[in-house]
Amino acid sequence: MSSLHRQERLLDIAGAGNPEELRKLREEEQNRLASVLSSSPVIQVIEELNELHDAVIVRILELAEIELARSGFGKPPVPYAYLLFGSGGRSEQTMSSDQDSGIVYGVPENGAEAERCCRYFRSLGRLVVERLVETGYPPCEGNVIASNPDWCLSIADWEQKLDGWFNEPSWEHVRYLLIVADGRFVYGDAELAARWKQRFYRDVLHQPVIAQRMMENTLRHKVLIGVFGQLLTESYGESAGSLDIKYGAYIPMVNVFRLLAVQAGIRETSTFGRIRALREAGKLAEQEAQEASEAFALFLRLRLMSMTKIENGQWVGTGKLPVKQLSHEWIKPLKKALRLGRKLQRQLEKGIRDRFGGR
Amino acid sequence: MIKKSLLAIGALLLLFPTMAFAADGEPPSSSMGLNALWVMIAAILVLLMQGGFILLETGSTRMKNAGHVAGKTIFTVGLCSLVYWAVGYGFAFGPNAGDGLNAFIGFGDFFFNPAIAAGPDDAYPATNFFVFQLAFAAVSLSIAWGGFAERAKLSVYLIFTFIFAGLIYPIIAHWIWGGGWLAEDGAQDFAGSTVVHLTGAMAALAATILLKPRIGKYNKDGSANEILGHNQVFTSLAVLLLWVGWFGFNAGSTLAVGDGFFGYVAFTTQLGAAGGAVAALLISWLVKGKADIGVTLNGALAGLVAITASCAFVEPWAAVVIGLIAGLLVFFSMAFFEKIRVDDPIAAMSVHGAAGIWGTLANGFFATPELVEKVGVGKAGLFYGGGFEQLWVQIVSFVVCGAFAFAASFVVLWIVKQVIGLRVTEEQEILGLDLSEHGNYGYPEVLKKPGTTSV
Repeated sequence: MSSLHRQERLLDIAGAGNPEELRKLREEEQNRLASVLSSSPVIQVIEELNELHDAVIVRILELAEIELARSGFGKPPVPYAYLLFGSGGRSEQTMSSDQDSGIVYGVPENGAEAERCCRYFRSLGRLVVERLVETGYPPCEGNVIASNPDWCLSIADWEQKLDGWFNEPSWEHVRYLLIVADGRFVYGDAELAARWKQRFYRDVLHQPVIAQRMMENTLRHKVLIGVFGQLLTESYGESAGSLDIKYGAYIPMVNVFRLLAVQAGIRETSTFGRIRALREAGKLAEQEAQEASEAFALFLRLRLMSMTKIENGQWVGTGKLPVKQLSHEWIKPLKKALRLGRKLQRQLEKGIRDRFGGR
Repeated sequence: MIKKSLLAIGALLLLFPTMAFAADGEPPSSSMGLNALWVMIAAILVLLMQGGFILLETGSTRMKNAGHVAGKTIFTVGLCSLVYWAVGYGFAFGPNAGDGLNAFIGFGDFFFNPAIAAGPDDAYPATNFFVFQLAFAAVSLSIAWGGFAERAKLSVYLIFTFIFAGLIYPIIAHWIWGGGWLAEDGAQDFAGSTVVHLTGAMAALAATILLKPRIGKYNKDGSANEILGHNQVFTSLAVLLLWVGWFGFNAGSTLAVGDGFFGYVAFTTQLGAAGGAVAALLISWLVKGKADIGVTLNGALAGLVAITASCAFVEPWAAVVIGLIAGLLVFFSMAFFEKIRVDDPIAAMSVHGAAGIWGTLANGFFATPELVEKVGVGKAGLFYGGGFEQLWVQIVSFVVCGAFAFAASFVVLWIVKQVIGLRVTEEQEILGLDLSEHGNYGYPEVLKKPGTTSV
């Protein structure tokens, strides 16, 4: 697609006045991307798709600020940054992604100010989430979302919270840290977001053993390929014969490169970006990086292919792909990619076990 | 006072047991006494296997049917005993059939009325043999119930027990063990891979084909749903009970203490079971990526079923191989039956059918000349210079017995289906057979009868 079209669309979004308009623009653009998916490089489709999501989210935020001002809340009392987590944080959202988000805001000057900030940003979080639901983004099931007061804090509170998680790396806390690792600034004050991320990386550096806890937290999602090179598909139920692309291919790969990146102090949040940065830092050989990127691109493509559109224009997907529907020329590269995923997973496990010992 | 003297006499009898027999004249041979004891112990062990079947079938099915599944086994063991006493035993072992008829069926000893003790030439009392054989018939019947589970009417259990224990099972037992035509051919089935297990499995297959899958087992697109049993601990305990009971089943089939050969049979039995359990867990782990407990349990049973025919005919290494292959076989067989949409909740067709066939066949490969001579049935197998002869006999025996058991069961059940129907109504099946057939749930505090309030 021409970059001219892209610019036009982004301008349309930036000028949209309400969630309905944005929803319509989003659907049109998603339909277009779906139709070119089979004939375009998946990296490009994912990039355009996430540019679209970002633009929609940014516009919703602008509209929400205006709406809050009109209803008497005034302007934001201190600078703030809106963060995306999960696939949004990794710039890997699909056509049917949900909302994972948080807010970090500047330090209020005094107690009265603190209360005002708290009230304002909680209202903002609630409003933005609500408007995004209207635009077709369902809320996060795990409640990692800006409307949840736990994920809407001042930078000082955030820093305290992060330190607490690092000091007591229980299963739950490590899960939060993994979420934070994928956090990405999308709107507001970029410096605030950078400071927030800086604290995470400072603590990781002080506590290298956290990598082991992170690994243990992600190990339950194994790459779904068996010892005979067979695809480990679902045995029962409506999705019998389907391969769980999301949890058996995509997520394990995300987990591997997140951990490698965090260990290397790399702040990229997209998996492609992490692979590239790891190669540049000399942590991955040229060939390895190339193969990993190709495998990941395939998983992303299959993940997009596992989504279908239902009547009201909504995209839904379980992330599971019926293997029978895959034509023959897909199976071989898929198995190759899965084997690579398994190899990487094991290498990482072994490396961390050698360093910190088994459990 | 009376108590004390009784105690004294009892103690004296223990010290000088011959005193008690002194007045009876001719004492029976000591080997007869030992044989009798061993066969009775074995019979008790095999009867105790019903405890295994109760837990196996109940654990592998759902709570709402638990009372029915468990309790009906006690009923059918009772009914089976009466029917087998009245006619079944006579058709299997009755001595009065003419030469022509005897190839097909035994005749005589109906309403069995045995001598109260062994005669001077008997190896053991006829009563012990009867009880032992009856326990086998009951095992075969309980295997068949696997194919009926969670959807057949109670009345069908009643009718089928009559026909199966009275005729179908006795005919096959007669063919191989009662001097029938396969016995004359030298078919090797030491303790009943074919006679007991394949026969039961074929009846189960006929039943499940006629009954059709349980509600909710298959989706419209043909994919299967997993209907998990409600208690894996029951199922595991069941396997252990069956495993232990199997020592009576196999080692007891020597019917003699003699030179201690029964110990060898117990030994190969243990190796076969072990091989089955290990192979099944590993293959499910390798193929599915998760080690399946249900498959492992069925693997142990498949190892036992397979070694049942061959336990007295093969060397230790072969027993291990037979068990290992049975474990692999049961895994693939379960997947196969599920794929062809045969709903077999207890895996009876795989555990008792596929492994039963394999065990019978295995003799044709692994039977050693030395052991064949010892047991005195058939010839050595292919790997021991026996050529294909024994293998062919084994093939014929399982094909013919399997086909007969299937056809006879199918015809009987088909007629029952036409006349009174086999299956409970949809509503009854959803509500559970505990309620529809017996009026109360086996787990009354967990499952509430519709229209009642909790106490």
